[in-house]
Amino acid sequence: MSKQVTVAVKRQDTQTSGSRWETFSIPYEPGLNVTTILQRIAANPVTVEGESSTPVAFDACCLEEVCGACTMRVNGRVRQACTALVDNLLAEQPDRITLEPMTKFPVVRDLHVDRSAMFESLKRVHAWITADGYFDRGAAPRMSQDAQEDAYPLTTCMTCGCCVESCPQFNDGSSFIGPAAISQAVLFNEHPVGKFDANARMEVLAGDGGIADCGNAQNCLKVCPKNIPLTQSLAKAGRAATKYVISRFLQK
Amino acid sequence: MAQQAAKTDSFAVRHHFLIRRLHSLCGLVPIGVFLCIHLTVNASINAGAAEFETQVGYIHALGWLLKPVEIMFIFLPLLFHGVLGLQIWFSGQPNVSTYKYGGNFRYMFQRVTGGIAFVFILYHLWHMHWLGAPFGGGKFIAHGEGMTESAATAMQDVVFGVPASVLYGIGVLSAVYHLANGIWTSLITWGITIGPLAQRRAGYACSAFGVMLAVVGLSGVRGFKTFEPEADSHMVGVDTDVPPPFVKTVSDPGGS
Ligand code: HEM
Ligand code: HEM
Ligand code: SF4
Ligand code: SF4
Ligand code: FES
Repeated sequence: MSKQVTVAVKRQDTQTSGSRWETFSIPYEPGLNVTTILQRIAANPVTVEGESSTPVAFDACCLEEVCGACTMRVNGRVRQACTALVDNLLAEQPDRITLEPMTKFPVVRDLHVDRSAMFESLKRVHAWITADGYFDRGAAPRMSQDAQEDAYPLTTCMTCGCCVESCPQFNDGSSFIGPAAISQAVLFNEHPVGKFDANARMEVLAGDGGIADCGNAQNCLKVCPKNIPLTQSLAKAGRAATKYVISRFLQK
Repeated sequence: MAQQAAKTDSFAVRHHFLIRRLHSLCGLVPIGVFLCIHLTVNASINAGAAEFETQVGYIHALGWLLKPVEIMFIFLPLLFHGVLGLQIWFSGQPNVSTYKYGGNFRYMFQRVTGGIAFVFILYHLWHMHWLGAPFGGGKFIAHGEGMTESAATAMQDVVFGVPASVLYGIGVLSAVYHLANGIWTSLITWGITIGPLAQRRAGYACSAFGVMLAVVGLSGVRGFKTFEPEADSHMVGVDTDVPPPFVKTVSDPGGS
């Protein structure tokens, strides 16, 4: 018999129903990744006990770690399923691969979660540039090469949710908006046109759920698949908030 | 997720940021500064009873001012920082079993050592401070009219059997870790160390500071554990009924 890969999946039918584990056995192929495993299960959803089951629901789109849709917990650690290679996973833990949904978002079904909380946080921090209006404001100021190089990594955020999933401060009991949104606020505050809305962003960063809720565990930096310098953004937000609150106090 | 702060929100929500910055500040000044001075003064026992007494004398020279100063600059900030610290601890969701990163362990230790410090300080105040006297503690009597012994001999009565020494050792190490790591995180919180290299260098500096303060603190514990008043030249021939000369100068400032 050819080599098999054992995969345990945490399943849940609806947002409110309880969860259960199902175990599947998939024929090994070189170069297999976790999204392919889920496709193999969908093609033949029979558990190791021989019971017929249903395809596992999950989200995916780009299949190359740029959209963030397939984020889930693989062997307990949050990451993208499409770039989780089975060979590496087996080297790390030979007996089985476990797949679970993220814990910080409501489960829609199985491994598919609702990440709208992240979008809400982006809306709160005004994570865009106000470019349209009645008047032509002329050409925007140019950004220096250095400023562009600082900004670029922050623009690669795909709102995948890894950082908030690993953040001990982001949970049901706290109103923390999380490192991704804070990093985006820093990005747009440093942009020559984005700066125009800096005070609106600072109000949120210096408010409840803002930068003060970060506990400096720095997990976010470690898990971010895009290697975004999140802790640098967080410290910049801390500095900006210190200055903002002092000048707001003195100008009132 | 929280909404924008509105007038209807509670005081704690509207002033969240300021409260958290005040928490950070309290940890540094006055509590952190107090800890450094306190442990250094305690370590002076290693230079002999006379030295320790002189050091304690500087503090107690405040006379009646001592109590308000203690309350304003030690107890209130400590209570605020400690109670809010516990609330912050329980509002987080530590996950070191999944994410075994150095920073994550430091985050968890910051909370655990804060908790230990909290319990230790309660025990310690009961043990030595006059606040503990009604509960059978309050063994350290260095100030006020009641002082008939030297500060160092008073310490000798109080302490320092093996269990107490171990508790004090744990208390010192927890408080020192908490302060050293707290200084490191506060540099990020306030936006002083921004980049990874700056944060790493600050980490070395805070570690060195922590090791030094731990040595000072533990040497104080060891000093009191091994201290023998009779063997100390300063104490030879001291009649316990007569207050040592130092006490007169303190309890008698200008005939008050
Ligand atoms: C080497 C170990 C220590 C010794 C020998 C020691 C000794 C003392 C003594 C004798 C007092 C009573 C002062 C008085 O009544 O006027 C005192 C008070 C106090 N200690 Fe310690 N202590 C030690 C470690 C610590 C640690 C680690 C902390 C934690 C931060 C701490 C916090 C306090 C506080 C808050 C007070 C009351 C404030 C005051 O009376 O001014 N101590 N300590
Ligand atoms: C009485 C018990 C205490 C508890 C429960 C406690 C708890 C905490 C907690 C949970 C934090 C983390 C705050 C955050 O990440 O936002 C913290 C930070 C801190 N604590 Fe304490 N603490 C206590 C006592 C102390 C003492 C005795 C000192 C001084 C030696 C101290 C100094 C600090 C400092 C400097 C910080 C860093 C603040 C920052 O990151 O900005 N704490 N404390
Ligand atoms: S910052 Fe990194 S981990 Fe967080 S959402 Fe963006 S890409 Fe994902
Ligand atoms: S550094 Fe702050 S935002 Fe990042 S994981 Fe830690 S607590 Fe969360
Ligand atoms: S499918 Fe887009 S990141 Fe995995």
